[in-house]
Amino acid sequence: MSTELLKTSGLKTDEMIINMGPQHPATHGVLRLLLTLDGEFVKHCEPVIGHLHRAQEWQGQNRTWFQYQALIDRVDYLSGMFTSWALAKAAERIDGLKLPLRAEYMRVIVAEMNRISSHLLWLGTYLIDLGAMFGFPFYPFREREKLLDLFEAIAGQRMMFNYIRIGGVQREAPPGWFAKLKQFTQEFPDRVDEYEAIVTKNPIFLKRTKGVGILGKELAMEYGVTGPSLRAAGVNFDLRKFKPYSVYDQLDFEVPLGEGEGDTWDRYMCRVKEMRQSNEIIKQCLAKIPGGTSEELRERRRQCNSCGKDDCPNCGGDLRIMVKKQNAGLRIKAGEGFDAVESPRGILGCYIVSTGGDTAYRFKWRNPSFSNLSVLPALLVGHPIADIMAIFGSLDVILPDVDR
Amino acid sequence: MTEQSNTKSNTGGGPMAAISLPVPEELRDTVTLTTVDKAVEFLSRLVDPVANWARSNSVWPLTFGTSCCAIEMMCVGMSAFDISRFGSEVFRATPRQADLIITAGTICRKMAPALITLYEQLPEPKYVIAMGACTVTGGMFNDSYSVVQGVDRIIPVDVYLPGCPPRPEGILDALIKLQQKIRTESLAERRRRAYRQMPVRYVDYDTGRPLEDVVREAQLETALALAGEEPEGASV
Amino acid sequence: MSEQQAPGKPAEVELEPGQFGQFLAEHGIPSRRLSDSSGVETIELEGKHLEQAVKRLRNSPETKLDFLVAVSGVEAADTFDSVYHLWSYSNQSELVIKVRVPKSDVPAGHLPMVPSIAPFWKAADWHERETYDLVGIRYVGHPYLRRILNPWDWEGHPLRRDYRQPVDALNDKSPGSFR
Repeated sequence: MSTELLKTSGLKTDEMIINMGPQHPATHGVLRLLLTLDGEFVKHCEPVIGHLHRAQEWQGQNRTWFQYQALIDRVDYLSGMFTSWALAKAAERIDGLKLPLRAEYMRVIVAEMNRISSHLLWLGTYLIDLGAMFGFPFYPFREREKLLDLFEAIAGQRMMFNYIRIGGVQREAPPGWFAKLKQFTQEFPDRVDEYEAIVTKNPIFLKRTKGVGILGKELAMEYGVTGPSLRAAGVNFDLRKFKPYSVYDQLDFEVPLGEGEGDTWDRYMCRVKEMRQSNEIIKQCLAKIPGGTSEELRERRRQCNSCGKDDCPNCGGDLRIMVKKQNAGLRIKAGEGFDAVESPRGILGCYIVSTGGDTAYRFKWRNPSFSNLSVLPALLVGHPIADIMAIFGSLDVILPDVDR
Repeated sequence: MTEQSNTKSNTGGGPMAAISLPVPEELRDTVTLTTVDKAVEFLSRLVDPVANWARSNSVWPLTFGTSCCAIEMMCVGMSAFDISRFGSEVFRATPRQADLIITAGTICRKMAPALITLYEQLPEPKYVIAMGACTVTGGMFNDSYSVVQGVDRIIPVDVYLPGCPPRPEGILDALIKLQQKIRTESLAERRRRAYRQMPVRYVDYDTGRPLEDVVREAQLETALALAGEEPEGASV
Repeated sequence: MSEQQAPGKPAEVELEPGQFGQFLAEHGIPSRRLSDSSGVETIELEGKHLEQAVKRLRNSPETKLDFLVAVSGVEAADTFDSVYHLWSYSNQSELVIKVRVPKSDVPAGHLPMVPSIAPFWKAADWHERETYDLVGIRYVGHPYLRRILNPWDWEGHPLRRDYRQPVDALNDKSPGSFR
């Protein structure tokens, strides 16, 4: 290493403090890194966060439940379904609600679609960070546009869905939606093969990511890291398998683990394999969902004229998608509770203290990126500047998730 | 008969206005250009159509994405809603090479000084598109303690683009409006600083009062101090 | 909307100590059981026992609560609560620990003090800084207790019930605002 060369050559070096400011072209948001450098190598790093602190927990105390559900997609904008799901899950836990199966299946379907689109965007921007500026990102975004078209058809919005609510999901899929999604799931594995063909065995990519930013098991567990970064280190901790919630215990999928010591390449492979597994989950859900596609459900409801009775075999019971009235009078029982979901970045949880009033008393978001980012100073020591973006990008940190 | 004023240009501003050519009485109705200002105006009338057309078709934005709107900005740069067919071929990483800031994402009070620095680092002529509800008026964070209520409180804005987030086609629409605005500009007026460089609703950051009030108070205090009277109270 | 009734005092009835309460009592740490947070055992500890209790819960093989999910702060009616959510990477147990500092114990102009667990558990580092920033609970022994989300020179703790905004955006009546 060149530090040894410097020592033997008799040159006296000095430390330099450099600011990687809040605006930099790596499109991860606004993070400021204060780096203490010895030549090219990082000796100490302090992340300064808070440039996107939008006071969303404070906002939760000042908005009714119905209003706040619409606003929390922005907490982690790439996985808006998961934030809504965490809120809904915690509120349903306090309230003691049990959801019909169709609502659970719809939640899993849209959530796994969101996981795929989040990982696709991560892949595109990670390659931009590493230097593949033009050419590669167009491929993942092509798939992402198809997913965003599907989201727009079902939720009305490309990114801020407001679809998963307390008590179920917002609306039924339009006709033709399930067929289009099925077609997407059949084409998608070939696309992932395309991306892997460009990236995985690329010698430049391997040189930049193998052996770089090794996040071991003990370090990850000490800092509370979760998600693919933890699984790449070898710890088999995925909330969907560990404490199965919703209908994940009826679905058959694998959780990819890292093979090596938890370096950047392992984190990349974990996410790519997770995309394939999410595709499998969506296929199984499409086959197993009670009521089938929206056209079939429509036929069944026509038989009983959408009577709306709870025990009706054609439109009640497990075929409903919402069990709580969604209007300004939405209320939760008094109590407190914490519940979490497995989002593309890790464990996303919501701690609610409710007093039964029209707003919550306290919201606390447990964001995965907050804990994942806190491990960055320990990871960066000893690496040259060029590796900073490779390591930081592989942690998949979203800044509004950190700052709320 | 029109009078050619050759002493003081009535166009206001600029040190070059004072330089003028003395024109004898008998030649006055044949001489058109008497001051450098008028020369520039004449030239700009010739050059503007071409220069503005060239400038409007190659507006290069800065990569400034704070939050959710940045994702839509990325989508507009990708192949589905290609922005490079409108001239924004590359997004520059450094403000010194860009001429447009699309403020994509909420600006918080911690980030505001950085944005002002970035805006000041852009070379003239520079433009700002305020993208998304958060930057237009504060958006859904309109009562939050840490969000700047509209980015036009700190930098001047040319085009406002509402939406949460606006669709990529919306960004293209804003860019087209900006291009139309650029085509109607004039080089001479820009030299004369006729285009407003002050933010629209400039507010003193710490107290929330409009900046005109604060400036007027400071001017009053200075005037009183210069006149030899006691300054009132503690200085701000 | 923020003029809500705060959650009231916990029930005066003594609840049966649960699994973790008994475990801690065996090791000489007194705790008090509060009503469950939606099915999860919630115990209240004194500040002076916090460090020992957390170390025991983390390191003993029978409990192994080694995943600190979050440290949050809640301003209840007459206490400041520092709430710790503990999970485990290897078994399914969950525990909620609350350290309550009564408001009457806090002199005016000072912050409630809770011992910090950040020196030996790095996951708590940023969470405690955030709680200090937003709710205003001072963690004694934290290596670097500075504001993390708000600017460094911010005054006040925004998630308190009596927080007044310096520039009130909602009721801004100056001519430049649109209210």
